Amino acid sequence: MSPGRAGGRPSRGPRNPASTAAAARSAAADARSTAAAALAVLKAVTARVDTAARLEPAAGDAILRSVVDAAAVLIRAEAASIALHDPATDTLTFRVAAGEQGQGVVGLSIRPGDGVAGYVFATGEPLAIGETTVDPRFRRAAAEQTGYVPRSLLAVPLADDAGTMGVLEVLDRRDGAPFDLADMDAASVFARQATIAIRATGLERSTAALLREALLAIAGGERATDVEALVTGLTRELEPATWALADAVARVRDASPEQIDLVIDLLDALVRRTPRAASRYRAPGR
Amino acid sequence: MTVPTWSQAFTAGNRGLGRLNRRRPFGRVEREAAFGGVDGSGLTVAVIDSGIEVNHPAIGGRLVQSVRVELADGRPVVVGDDGQDVVGHGTAVGGIIHSIAPAADLVSIRVLGPDNRGKGEAFLTALDWAIGQGVSVVNLSLSSKSEALYADFHALADRAYFSNVLLVSAANNVPGPSYPSLFAAVVSVAAHDVRDPSVWFYNPEPPVEFGAYGIDVSVAWRAGGRSVVTGNSFAAPHIAGVATLIRSKHPGISPFETKALLAATANDPDER
Repeated sequence: MSPGRAGGRPSRGPRNPASTAAAARSAAADARSTAAAALAVLKAVTARVDTAARLEPAAGDAILRSVVDAAAVLIRAEAASIALHDPATDTLTFRVAAGEQGQGVVGLSIRPGDGVAGYVFATGEPLAIGETTVDPRFRRAAAEQTGYVPRSLLAVPLADDAGTMGVLEVLDRRDGAPFDLADMDAASVFARQATIAIRATGLERSTAALLREALLAIAGGERATDVEALVTGLTRELEPATWALADAVARVRDASPEQIDLVIDLLDALVRRTPRAASRYRAPGR
Repeated sequence: MTVPTWSQAFTAGNRGLGRLNRRRPFGRVEREAAFGGVDGSGLTVAVIDSGIEVNHPAIGGRLVQSVRVELADGRPVVVGDDGQDVVGHGTAVGGIIHSIAPAADLVSIRVLGPDNRGKGEAFLTALDWAIGQGVSVVNLSLSSKSEALYADFHALADRAYFSNVLLVSAANNVPGPSYPSLFAAVVSVAAHDVRDPSVWFYNPEPPVEFGAYGIDVSVAWRAGGRSVVTGNSFAAPHIAGVATLIRSKHPGISPFETKALLAATANDPDER
C-alpha cells in the first residue's frame, strides 16, 4: 500500500499499555495512520492524474485545434497556432497548430515577454508585424527550428476578465498582404472562442498552483522548495483530475496541529521519494 | 467583417455615424494656433514600456534617463537601467514621439521584458514614479487587466490629472477591464484605419476618445532596426506627441485643456 513508509511505521501494540510513553505513541500512531490515509489519497489521485493526462489533452486540444483551423481558413492565412501559459513553469507552450507549415511549432516553449507571442501575452495588446525579416524581436532561430519562417504575423491574447492565459498567432495572409485591423478583430473573435473553450474544459486551470497553494497553507512558506518539488513530481502534465488531488489536500487544512505536523513529515518523505521531481524543479523549463 | 471594438468608430463607413459626426460644440481650432512653431523643447515625456534604445537614430539622442522597475524582496522599486530595449516596442513608441516632438526629452521606464512580465504592481510603481518626476506627458502603450488594481490605478490617474501630468493610454481591444485606459482622467487612444500620422479623430462616445495612426506604421525597433507594425500601442504615441507640442506651445495648460485642444484640432470624420 505504502511501501515507502515501512521504515516509519509505528510499532503499535499493547507491549507497555500502562506507560505514558505508550499513550504518546498511541496518539502518534493515530496521527500517522491519518497521514498514511492522506498519502494513500495522494497516491490514488496521482495515479488517476496519470491516466487523465493520457486522455484529457486529446479532448481539450481537439477544441483548440478546431479554433486554429477555423482562424486559418477564415483569415485566409497559411498557418495559425495557440500557445498556452503554464504557471507552474512560467512558460508559453504551443499546443496546437493549423496549416502544414505551422505544425513544427507544436511543443515549442518560450518565456513570457520573449518573442512576439511572449510580448503579446505579457502586455495583453494585440499586435501585427509585417516584414518580420527585419524584426529582431521575431526569433528567426526559433522559427527556423520549426521549419517555417513567416513573412508576417498577427498575435492576439487569449484573455477574459480573469486574465490572460495564452496567445493566438496567425501567420502569413495567403494574398501576401500584411494583416490589418479587420484581421486583428477576426483573430480576436477566435481568441475569445478559444478562451471560452479553455475555461469550459479547465485546460488552463493551474492545478499545480492550486495544489501548491493548499500545501503551502499547511506547510508554511519556508517549505516552498519542498512543496514545489512535490507538486512538480505529482502533477507532471497538469490535467483537470488534479483538482481532486488539490481538493483532498485542501481538506487536510481542517486537521489538528499534530496531524498537520505529520503532513509536513509526509511532505519530507514524498520529496525524498521523488528525486526526479526535485531535479526537475532545480532545472525549470528544461 | 468588423474591426476591433474601440477602433470601430474611427474607420471608414463608421465615421459618418453617431456622435463622431456631431456638430462641434465650439469652433474648430487651427493646428497652427494650437501647436504651430513648437518642437516640444523644455518638456519631458515618459515612456512606460520595454525600454528605449539610447543610441537608436530614431531617438535623436533625446533619451535623458532610463530606469526600470524590479522586485526587491517582493516589492517593486525603481532602479537605474542601461538604456536598452529588451523587446523593441518602447523604442518604437519613443521614436514616434520624437518624430512629432523632436526637442522633447524622453525618459524610459521599463516594466516589460523577458525577465519582467509587466505585472500590474510594476506598472503602478512606474506610473507613480513618473508622476513624481513631474514629467509633462506619460505614454502608456500597455494596460492592466487586474480588477484588483482598479482603485490604485484610479487614484494614480487622478493624481496625475491634478499634478498637471497628462497620461496618454492605448486602449486595449480585448473586452474587459483595462486600466488606466478606461478612466476619464486619461487620454485614451485606439487605431483608426487611415495610414497618415497627421490624421486623428475625436470620439465623444466613451470610453475611447481618440483614433490615431496605428496601422502599418514604420517604426524604430531593437538593435537599431526598424519594423512595420499595427496596433493601438502605436496609435497612442502619435497623440502623445501632439499633446506634447500643445503643452509646449501653451505653458501651464492643464490636462483637460490639452484634451480639449486635441479634440478641437481633430480631423472631421468626412475629411478622409
